Amino acid sequence: MLTDTETRLLGIMMMVIMLGMGASLTFNDFRIALRKPAGIGIGIVTTYVLTPILGWTLATALQLPAPWAVGLILMACLPGGTTSNIFNYFSKGVLSLSILMTIVSTLIAVVMVPITLGIFTAGIEGEWKIPPATVAQVLFVLLVPTLIGVLLRKWNPNVGATLELVGGALGIVVILFLIVSWVPRNHQLLAATPWQVYFGAIGLGVFGFVVGYAFARLVRQDKRRARTIALEMGIQNGPLGVLIVLLTFKGEMQQQVLLVPVLYSLFIVLTSSVLTVWFRRITKREEQSRDRAKIGALVV
Amino acid sequence: MSNAAAVYDLKPWTQHYGDAIAKELLPARHAHLAQFLRAAEARYAQQIAFTTCMPNGMHGSLTYGQVAQHSDAFAVYLREIAGLKAGARVAVQMPNSLAYPVVAFGVLKAGCVLVNTNPQYTPTEMACQFKDSGAQVLVIVDMFANHLAQILEQTAITRVIVVQVSQFFSAIPRGVIRVVMKYWNRTLPAITVPHMRLETALAEGAAAMQSLAIDVAAYTRDQGADSLAALQYTGGTTGVSKGAMLTHGNLLSNLDQALAMGCSRFEDGKEIVLTALPLYHIFAFTFNLLCFYAIGARNILVPSPRPIQNLQRAFDNYKITWVSGVNTLFNALMNEEWFTMFPPQHLKAAVAGGAALQHAVAERWQRITGIRIAEGYGLTETSPVVCFNPMGEARGLQKPDSIGIPVPGTEVRLVDESGNPVALGEPGELIVRGPQVISGYWNRPDETAKTLKDGWLYTGDIAVMDADGYFKIVDRKKDMILVSGFNVYPNEIEDTIAQMDEVLEVGVIGVPDESSGEAVRAYVVPLAAGLTEEAVRTHCRKHLTDYKVPKTIEIRRELPKTPIGKILRRELRAEYERGIRQT
Repeated sequence: MLTDTETRLLGIMMMVIMLGMGASLTFNDFRIALRKPAGIGIGIVTTYVLTPILGWTLATALQLPAPWAVGLILMACLPGGTTSNIFNYFSKGVLSLSILMTIVSTLIAVVMVPITLGIFTAGIEGEWKIPPATVAQVLFVLLVPTLIGVLLRKWNPNVGATLELVGGALGIVVILFLIVSWVPRNHQLLAATPWQVYFGAIGLGVFGFVVGYAFARLVRQDKRRARTIALEMGIQNGPLGVLIVLLTFKGEMQQQVLLVPVLYSLFIVLTSSVLTVWFRRITKREEQSRDRAKIGALVV
Repeated sequence: MSNAAAVYDLKPWTQHYGDAIAKELLPARHAHLAQFLRAAEARYAQQIAFTTCMPNGMHGSLTYGQVAQHSDAFAVYLREIAGLKAGARVAVQMPNSLAYPVVAFGVLKAGCVLVNTNPQYTPTEMACQFKDSGAQVLVIVDMFANHLAQILEQTAITRVIVVQVSQFFSAIPRGVIRVVMKYWNRTLPAITVPHMRLETALAEGAAAMQSLAIDVAAYTRDQGADSLAALQYTGGTTGVSKGAMLTHGNLLSNLDQALAMGCSRFEDGKEIVLTALPLYHIFAFTFNLLCFYAIGARNILVPSPRPIQNLQRAFDNYKITWVSGVNTLFNALMNEEWFTMFPPQHLKAAVAGGAALQHAVAERWQRITGIRIAEGYGLTETSPVVCFNPMGEARGLQKPDSIGIPVPGTEVRLVDESGNPVALGEPGELIVRGPQVISGYWNRPDETAKTLKDGWLYTGDIAVMDADGYFKIVDRKKDMILVSGFNVYPNEIEDTIAQMDEVLEVGVIGVPDESSGEAVRAYVVPLAAGLTEEAVRTHCRKHLTDYKVPKTIEIRRELPKTPIGKILRRELRAEYERGIRQT
């Protein structure tokens, strides 16, 4: 269980992450995004159709008890994290597509997450359900820093660029924070956790990558875009899931529901890193002169 | 005077100068560049002179007053602490950054000679240029300073001063950029030779200026129009790298000449110019740096326009009114969605030089931005502007596919092999005489004699003039292809192929051929996969006579280019010859 201070700290970090995400955007980016129905469509389908189905399927097939099933389905219903943009940076993916998918899924999260969550947790006992209103509230509150981020960047590009980097890096810091503060206090719990839970938490990411890639190829995206979409689908907004659980449940219940989001967040960093190294190698091989040095070209 | 010469010597182009452009060039207003710089710095002291914009939007700025203060300090450092005499050479090797104007202006204010050096040079090329120029001090960007270890001993350089791309940025962005460069991009190598940071040099200079009560203006009191200002290295027409000796008079005249041609679109103290081309190149040096300094503009410096997305934040964050570029740069911008969907709203003018502007690129640019690109023509040896399209409002002043008309005070003729003027409308080698033309190459009397005859500079470019006095460059003399006795100009073929929507870039050369003597060979970079040689050939057959259609076509991913993005046909030819030898 996390203390109140830790919960508050996590909330603040989340705000900064969203500020950073906002700072990576301009209003023109939104307008360009709106003119690209393909990117938007893929973003919506992977985030709010495929991933929730995947989460629900895993929870059902593994016959997870209610608290763990709720944790897993919650993770599956959330929008993509800014962390996915960072991994796409490193893996030399199509960054604009990654950002576009994250924006679109985050913007409509206020509406979509409560709906999908409602549908896929329909079979779960009442006391374990996450009230849609809570989720909507949290997401709405997070839209405010996102918008402030957009404005900050417009006001001062130095502040914007710094926030963008800090916000992105903080996504990983939050996960490190969880490892340091949560894992040592709960090693007994982790040892006692059945394999099904681990399988579900890791599988959501790994199968997400696979399904994302397959879907992207199915709708005729080229291989590089497909790799970007795979990462985007596998990587959910972990810290957001943790935050929602903290704000919804108390005491022993919180402890139980928190398990899957935390495990997911820990393992997604590992699986994404492996994938990123591999993707980076593939992209480097394929790379054309035109898109060389997407990240490497700060100067000259 | 022969009749043919009269055609050119009557200067038919002056009729298009209109009221705005003086027929003859007025005497320079300043004795030398230091005086010119000081005048601008006093006049616009509070205004922002330079802003460096990084690809992620991080930026730093200097006002005219700050540039004055720092460049004065640097001048004092060079003279008092480094102990240089007037006329000593200082090599400057850095990408566009705030340090560039401070250092370059400091060199000029010290009465020393600026040796612009491409930061991407290999150690061998660096050594060659440093030795030839006899540079005693080198100011180099930290990213490439690791090359010095192996060459410094061969040169006369006694002091190395290191600058950063984020020089003069405020602490946080500067720190962030350095962390990213060092640990993420790993572009900051360890520097093993003795060196000093620019901040230290400036602090020492400022301290000396105060304690010794130095009047910086005294350093240049004895200088005049004929004093050497810069050694600008160029492969030029003959391929041997040599230093064009640019005097203060050359640069000041050319600055006035360029200002005259653009005067109708300059608003004093209000312009914002995007400098994506490197300042160490003569085009950006005279045009972007000096011209816009003269009119109190704000200069947006981009360290590198490659990849082209690096320019996005500059266009997002600043109300760019002027942009200078080369064909490849304009072309690359128009392949970016963020640019075509939201073209710059405040743009007043775009100018192209450095290489032929392709018709298709010029047309698309006008369609997208509503601004016609004014094409000009020049060489390192002419500081650089020789011809420009006048920018007045009158219709027809700017002729498409033309390099425009000679700038005021400039004589231009087109001549045949033996140096005699050719008749109106006939192609001939463009030769030029005027206050912007160099008097020779540094320590190269042989090369000087080949290029300069009776004050006329032989450019090696083939051009034609129409009855209005507008010029068109047909091609480089050396690049001309002789197919079964017919002259084929690679520019024409490149222009035709570039019209295809599927084509990003194209380079055309002549290669030896058993049946036709020489044959046309095209290298094509497609926009997306799928373009075939056959499609290119079909397109050429539709638009060109038989002998001009490329005999061989190679589809490839990249073309060799100069630092400003000119396609290097010389490299393509060398590559082809290597390939032939191997097989």
